[in-house]
Amino acid sequence: MSENIVSFRHVSMQFPGVLANDDVSFDIRKGEVFALVGENGAGKSTLMNILYGMNTPTGGQVIIKGKTVERFDPSQAIAMGVGMVHQHFMLVPSFTVAQNVTLGREPRKWGFVSDLKKANAIVDGLVEEYGLTVNTRDRVQDISVGLQQRVEILKTLHRGADILILDEPTAVLTPQETEELFSVIRRIVREKHMTIIIITHKLYEVMAISDRVGVMRSGKLVGVENTCDVNERILASMMVGRDVLLGELDRHDPEVMDNDVAVTLDHIQVTDDRGLPAIRDISLELHRGEILGIAGIEGNGQSQLIEAITAMRPLRGGDIRIGGVSIRKMTPGQVRALGVAHVPEERLKTGVSAPADVTDNLIAGREKEKRFSLFRTHMKRKAVRQYAEELFEQYDIRGAGVDVPVGSLSGGNMQKVVVAREFSFNTPVLMISQPTRGVDIGAMEAIHQFIIDKRNAGCAILLISADLDELFRLSDRLMTIYEGRITGEFTPSTIEKTEISYYMTGGSKEAQA
Amino acid sequence: MKKKNMLEYLLALLISVVLAMAVGALIMLATGHDPLEGYVLMFQGAFATQRALGNTLAKAATLCLTGLATAVAAQAGIFNVGGEGQLYLGAMASAVLGAKLAGMSPWIAVPLCLLAAMAAGGLYAWIPGVLKVKMKVDEVITTILLNTAAIYFCSYLANGPLKTMERGISSGTDSVDPAFMFDKLIRRSNLTESLFLTIIITVFIWYLMKKSTTGFQMKLTGQNGRFARYSGIKSDRLALLSMVISGAICGLVGMFEVFGLHKRFIVTVSNEFYFDGMLVAMIARYNPVGIILMSLFFGAMKIGGAAMELNAEIPSTLVVIIQSIIIFFMAAEGGVTTLLKERISRRRTAATLQKGDQA
Repeated sequence: MSENIVSFRHVSMQFPGVLANDDVSFDIRKGEVFALVGENGAGKSTLMNILYGMNTPTGGQVIIKGKTVERFDPSQAIAMGVGMVHQHFMLVPSFTVAQNVTLGREPRKWGFVSDLKKANAIVDGLVEEYGLTVNTRDRVQDISVGLQQRVEILKTLHRGADILILDEPTAVLTPQETEELFSVIRRIVREKHMTIIIITHKLYEVMAISDRVGVMRSGKLVGVENTCDVNERILASMMVGRDVLLGELDRHDPEVMDNDVAVTLDHIQVTDDRGLPAIRDISLELHRGEILGIAGIEGNGQSQLIEAITAMRPLRGGDIRIGGVSIRKMTPGQVRALGVAHVPEERLKTGVSAPADVTDNLIAGREKEKRFSLFRTHMKRKAVRQYAEELFEQYDIRGAGVDVPVGSLSGGNMQKVVVAREFSFNTPVLMISQPTRGVDIGAMEAIHQFIIDKRNAGCAILLISADLDELFRLSDRLMTIYEGRITGEFTPSTIEKTEISYYMTGGSKEAQA
Repeated sequence: MKKKNMLEYLLALLISVVLAMAVGALIMLATGHDPLEGYVLMFQGAFATQRALGNTLAKAATLCLTGLATAVAAQAGIFNVGGEGQLYLGAMASAVLGAKLAGMSPWIAVPLCLLAAMAAGGLYAWIPGVLKVKMKVDEVITTILLNTAAIYFCSYLANGPLKTMERGISSGTDSVDPAFMFDKLIRRSNLTESLFLTIIITVFIWYLMKKSTTGFQMKLTGQNGRFARYSGIKSDRLALLSMVISGAICGLVGMFEVFGLHKRFIVTVSNEFYFDGMLVAMIARYNPVGIILMSLFFGAMKIGGAAMELNAEIPSTLVVIIQSIIIFFMAAEGGVTTLLKERISRRRTAATLQKGDQA
């Protein structure tokens, strides 16, 4: 039997108002792929941050390779062979792959000049040794997200890690990139006897890659199982503490059957932040009572599409009409007044004001409504608070209450705040982007049902998601987007995911025929 | 701010004041002065006589207004460093108008002068505001530069084209009609009727920032401009509005100086009043109630410090050092309290965990 390489002994972590880890004890064995799963806010990331030395636990012990950790500090953890790849990469975009990998430990010439040649050679050696194919001379800003992740992994290997923590590694990857990552993981475990800890929400990935799986729920460890002894359904019910039936959504014919066009896009062109074309030419019609899903690999214009429709980004050409009205010259506020709500892609940047409390975030945009203000001037704080508490209940937001800053909530609950606010506007048109990114199964299930309910009630919904399962599950119609153009239109029931991937990566009907 | 937080915050401020005064005492000891005597003199200098009390209140009123001017802009995410220039222009505009309208009923003339001061200060703040929201020009740089422009422009006017012909006045504009002047509330002190206006403005700004929908929108704009825009808030317009309000208050402070004390615009109408207020606002973390309290404290310290210098022969530089240390401790207050809180909560959880183990 293989030895234990990491042991958690009664580890607890108390944050102000939240017990993030509650008496967690388990072992991780040398040379295994250990999956750590749980809902948002279950304490997975907190626990791994402790292992990586970023948090000091308020109780218990961590033992790495037989040595009890005395001082929690990332440099200490790195010295003990622990490496971590975070969800958000920490790379210098203008540096080359080799420079990023050796950053902080650059090989030096004459004692002080960094030796780029040597760095390239070292990193080339690592690439060869571990089979993580990437061109070490490319600048990080020019390579895909999947390759950037490899750079992060190489960085930890360069620092001598043999215990590698991957925090939601597949969240930003395409299905193909995910497959490649998994084969890399399998190889380095088999050939290099590395230990991999993978934090994830996606249960089929747990089944595909891990040897053992630990399930966490509200700070506690529910259990550790051999992956071959469980299935997705068992894991899901361990995570949420009840049976989850994915795939049974209450979908029926929308109440409005007139099939009205709610939103029309007429040959629109949009540029990105750098002024480069993001949407080259897109025309489409969004009908009432339908969910139109847009599938595409990130960075192909889907973000700009929704920003253009909500007037967050100016149109460079073409026209958008909502209910027959052109929004060319409108502000986001005016578009909202037309009856458009918007769940934005980046919740921290756009969807919430992190320092403001939950209450403020739940009513932002409706502070001048009659029920919340006197003469549009005086805020009725009591009514506001009461309303916020209602939404808090109704959307099952979990946190220390409506008075804490939204920034202190977990990602999934933050997303619920956004969804609660936007859906409560009861608008006929909904623009939804990445509604369940980084959200646990329980919340995902709830959000999916909220979306379907809106559709059933006759809303016109445009849905953008990097999660193909989600798109297939929710959409009535699917379009693929590539390089700012629509490359195909499909009915989810008549097409395979692999087929969609083909169109997402630039394939076209003509080329295939 | 929630009630409990407010209490915690006030307690923390109190602790830092005490700590700072302890360090100040050590410095006095080290330089051969009796700290007890020094502080007693400081206290007496600020409160013991009617005149002292009046001067302290007058100083506090100025600090409070300039502090609120900083805070109202900060709420919408703009750092107005240009209040000094806005103050000068407000003083100049109201002084010129006050002299021109001589003979008119004060009930008409004084409100007109108030409006002129607010317009001058507000418009001058509008310039960096527009540059900020339309062209993303950093307001800190523009407001600092515009300060210099305004102060020298006013200085030129007061010594050149608008210089008074009155005898014995070497620099300054014509004096305003004495009937327009604010009466003193306490004889021989600097406290005038402008205190009432100060109170009205203070309440108004507090209401605006904490209770109104506009203040709510300003707050969201300042916290996350993109989120505010996304929520349908006209964040550019609000940022501009907050800047204009900030400038208008500064203009009024200038007018109060002219119509309360100097009778005319003089080049020394302000002695960095705005920067003192800015400091107060920052220490009070832009909280209106905190600004009111801090203004009183700093007003007392300024006036009392001067008395301490006169009576205890403690050199003025030492007074400045003590003041700086107090400010330093208060500024560090935030960091100190979070540090303490973390310590306490960690110890608590450790204790509960231990208890759990024993059980």
